[in-house]
Amino acid sequence: MDETKFTPKIVGFLCNWCTYAAADLAGSSKTEISPLFSVIRVMCSSRIDHNLLLTTFFNGADGILIAGCHPGDCHYDKGNYYARRRYALLKNVMDTLKLEPERLELSWVSASEGKRYADVVNEFSKKIEQLGPNPIKKSSVF
Amino acid sequence: MKKKIGVYVCECGPNIADKVDIDKIIETVVAANNSENVEIIGDRHKLLCSAAGKVFLEEEIKNKELTHMVVAACSPRDHNSTFINVCKKTELNPYLYKMVNIREHCAWIIPDKDKATNKAIEYIQGGVARVQYQTELIEKKLDTNPDVLVIGGGIAGIEAAISLAGKKRKVTLIERSAVLGGKSVFLKELLPSQAGKEYINKRIKDLTDNENIQVFLNTEIEKIIGFLGNFEIILSDVTNKDKKTEIKTGATIVATGFGLSDVTEFSNINYDTKDEVYTSLEIEKMLSEKGKLKLSSGVPPKKVGLIHCVGRDEKKYCSQICCNYMMKIANYFKKQSAKIEVKEFYKDLCLPHKDDQKLFNLTKKNGVDLVRIKEVSLNGTKIKYSRIDGTIEENEFDMVVVAPPIIPSDSTKNLSEILDIPLDEFGFFQEAHLSTNPVGTSTDGIFIIGNAQGPRGISNSILMAHAASGQIRTQLIPGEQIVPEVKVSEVLEAFCMGCKNCIDVCCYGAIYFDEIKGISVVNEAICRGCGNCVASCPSGSIRLKHFTNEQIYQEVIEALK
Amino acid sequence: MDQQKNVLVIGAGIAGMKACLLLAKTGKQVYLVEKLPIIGGKTIKNEESFPNLECSTCMVAPVQQEILQHPNIKTLTLSEVEKIEGDIGNFTIIINKKARYVSDTDCIGCDMCFDPCPVSISNEWEENLMNKKAIYVPCSGSLPNVPTIDTEHCYHFNGKQECNACVEACMFEAINFDDKDEKVEIQVGAVIIATGSDIYDVSLLPQFGYGKHPGIYTSMEFERLFASNGPTSGELTIRNSEKTPKSIAIIHCVGRKEQDYCSGICCMYSAKHAHFIKHKLPDTKIYNFYRDICVPGKTYQKFVEKINDIETQMIYHNSMDELNILHNENEITIEYITGKSKKETLTVDMVILASALNPGKDFSDISKMAKIDLDKNGFFITNQEKVGSVESTKPGIFIAGCAEGPKDVQTSVIQAEAAVSGVMSCLDS
Repeated sequence: MDETKFTPKIVGFLCNWCTYAAADLAGSSKTEISPLFSVIRVMCSSRIDHNLLLTTFFNGADGILIAGCHPGDCHYDKGNYYARRRYALLKNVMDTLKLEPERLELSWVSASEGKRYADVVNEFSKKIEQLGPNPIKKSSVF
Repeated sequence: MKKKIGVYVCECGPNIADKVDIDKIIETVVAANNSENVEIIGDRHKLLCSAAGKVFLEEEIKNKELTHMVVAACSPRDHNSTFINVCKKTELNPYLYKMVNIREHCAWIIPDKDKATNKAIEYIQGGVARVQYQTELIEKKLDTNPDVLVIGGGIAGIEAAISLAGKKRKVTLIERSAVLGGKSVFLKELLPSQAGKEYINKRIKDLTDNENIQVFLNTEIEKIIGFLGNFEIILSDVTNKDKKTEIKTGATIVATGFGLSDVTEFSNINYDTKDEVYTSLEIEKMLSEKGKLKLSSGVPPKKVGLIHCVGRDEKKYCSQICCNYMMKIANYFKKQSAKIEVKEFYKDLCLPHKDDQKLFNLTKKNGVDLVRIKEVSLNGTKIKYSRIDGTIEENEFDMVVVAPPIIPSDSTKNLSEILDIPLDEFGFFQEAHLSTNPVGTSTDGIFIIGNAQGPRGISNSILMAHAASGQIRTQLIPGEQIVPEVKVSEVLEAFCMGCKNCIDVCCYGAIYFDEIKGISVVNEAICRGCGNCVASCPSGSIRLKHFTNEQIYQEVIEALK
Repeated sequence: MDQQKNVLVIGAGIAGMKACLLLAKTGKQVYLVEKLPIIGGKTIKNEESFPNLECSTCMVAPVQQEILQHPNIKTLTLSEVEKIEGDIGNFTIIINKKARYVSDTDCIGCDMCFDPCPVSISNEWEENLMNKKAIYVPCSGSLPNVPTIDTEHCYHFNGKQECNACVEACMFEAINFDDKDEKVEIQVGAVIIATGSDIYDVSLLPQFGYGKHPGIYTSMEFERLFASNGPTSGELTIRNSEKTPKSIAIIHCVGRKEQDYCSGICCMYSAKHAHFIKHKLPDTKIYNFYRDICVPGKTYQKFVEKINDIETQMIYHNSMDELNILHNENEITIEYITGKSKKETLTVDMVILASALNPGKDFSDISKMAKIDLDKNGFFITNQEKVGSVESTKPGIFIAGCAEGPKDVQTSVIQAEAAVSGVMSCLDS
């Protein structure tokens, strides 16, 4: 990697029903979004567990965004509340892993918020760019 | 066996073709993956979702004998189902195909063509990697039982039973008490229509005459297990708990009605049993039993005060029907004698239905004095109130009627445990979705109607009975099977340590505990495939089919390369 | 296909769509007729729905998608029913399907035709708060995501000048100026009328000054102003300006007296509006002018109280007739009579008129065509001999949603599902 110019890798886990739809809307409105950001679709934000998040960090993600339906809007009743709890838990222990908690973010973006989706992603990407490379990236892929 | 993976990039006219270098994408993906085990067949097409595009894919799958397929095009929200249907026309299992969104998430949002091309390659590589970890999933068909259990013999339950019963669908109706009709049998008039007691009696007769409905009085539900289409239920006799009946149904409707709050629990309402103070239901009973509204001395009242909204502030909800029935009661008095002085005290008028205003207009026309108040208190038959302008007045009446709040029926809590249906903050049954599925619950196949779900009038309760009937009749068609979701969770027995975390987090009650094996088991007919249980499992023993860790990791790894 | 088992649903709002999906599950062929170019009804105009304040698009989009992808549902947009003949089990329906001029099979929704179009006209769907091209979709995220052409304003059609810009821009040859209106004849066994309702025209009441001052909005205009996919992307700025309001008054019950009924939902959506405002403009003062707070059922009161206690000032006034909205260039003044019968005034930057729902303009035509009755207000009437019925006065025709009278989403859905039960009774005896 070119040390002088850091290009972060950012992974976004988006729920199928709200945020993925918002990403589609941002796309069909031709909103410019950072190419550093990679979208992975899951059915519900509650599917995202610590295992998945840590593996993603260990494998070199400089930032991870989890995004789903607003509280109360979950397609699966209460999934996003569970996602929030798990997020908070991991966020608390990231320090002990020598990983800045800012690298993990949770955001609620509804299906009609295409513009907001772009803002959230672009701001997060900028933040990660400023934060620099993930300090615990493992050199080998598992 | 060598994998033959078809990778098809849709040009989407210029939408993708102009924004990324499709040829480079295909070249790169082919070069990156071709090995002794994998052969990539890459191609581009002008518009894969068009009729010609679909035929093209179908031919490719057949002629090239593809084992997997990746379609790089628009959003799966637009056309995933289109390409699943293409797969279904061929031998390729649709779960061995993956759609990659390079339009909304790539071509349309990254102006730089090189960057967009690289991004598309990354996403497609993720798709190619993922699809190899995907497994065939086969849709299962389940036989269903079309029969229905209705819990509660009030008017909502009666209407639901009559609506559903037929030659091919038997209905069992159970009622805890010894009589049918619930509280509606006491009502002289059923708002907003003029229909009254004779309507209820007719419906009770329609119910008992219906050969496809079996009615059990003095009966409660003791146990229910199962899911939509297949419930096993044990009923027990209230008077003799050992007398049990086992039945099987496909759906269950809860129509347990309401209770009325004791008004004396509210600090502003103070009266004694000897005082001439009546609840609205007591007035209805008096009218239906004695035919006339009289004081306990036997003489008709001359001056009547009616208090709306009792306990509304404490309960934090509006019971919805009190304004209407209090005006109805005011009119009972006025019909009995226009000379009776009737005063109604209300804070807000809640007349949400178009016909309610008619009743209001009639009530005013009948000479009822409607007084808007800020605060009100009752002492015996003395009503003290502050008007909206702040003036405080006190009137003595010879009869007072109070509108108590509607509360959940006393059986609700116990029933919620038996049915495993949650209650809301007010103690009513919690609906699946307040706006879009008010009669559904967290368990498919169990429905809540009438006041079991929340306070409402007769006509709305009956509407809900028909709504539940509409759902059941379209979901459980006699003689037809249902196809449950296939992308569901499964427990890997060897790893499960029986902590039951998954059971706690599942919003649908789709996971149960096998006591003998000491492990959790997913009921595939109930699971909706959100994956919440997967994330809750400390031993990694639950997999969500089609969204397994391995499958998601493939996308992650490609994104991080 | 047994045509007597087909069903016609008129109106693709939440009630009509819900009914379609249930019926389609049974294998019946369902025809969904919608006069607008898109499906979704009024629900999708709201950013968030009460009382859960959940995103309406998230709530409705999966339903819309399923409708459009369902093999048993034939959706006819830009279509109106012209004739309903026959009786229960055997209706002949003639539908006038207007030309869309854009093929829904060829168009992929890339929007490339919009930019080249030289025409700019007011977008009614956006409550005229923004413009659209002569080839347009009502709003971004519309479903089906296929444009249509406003032939009144399109140069090609009105002959103002020669123009072929959209056709040239379309790479899919999806635009066809020669598309013609079409008469579609179908046979069905039952009909569900779920046309929704209209919104009371507040300009009929000059006392409220609607249309005379840019700061005076209807509640539906405000919904779009707040919407993140709306005219200002959700920025609360006063019409034709960059100015954000420092004070907003919400006037309840506009048109209630004239219509002689309470619409049952205005208190709720007004509380929602107050919440929206507080959320985006925390320093803006909000005043609610009300007469009765109508919050029926288990969840509504709590919603309204929670919002009104924290976020707004509730002003009870004595008489709707004596509430006047005066305005000059700079300010809007509300003149009203207090509960103590005193005349007072309040000056604000913006006013939202919570308007009543009223019967659709086409209700009387439909009632004549279908030979069913309207009530004295002009809504469709249900069978009064039964309690809680969704049957119209003619067997085989059912009424659901606001076509029957103003109501919330919950009751609309209940009626739609009840209508489905009615249809099943007619057709599967």
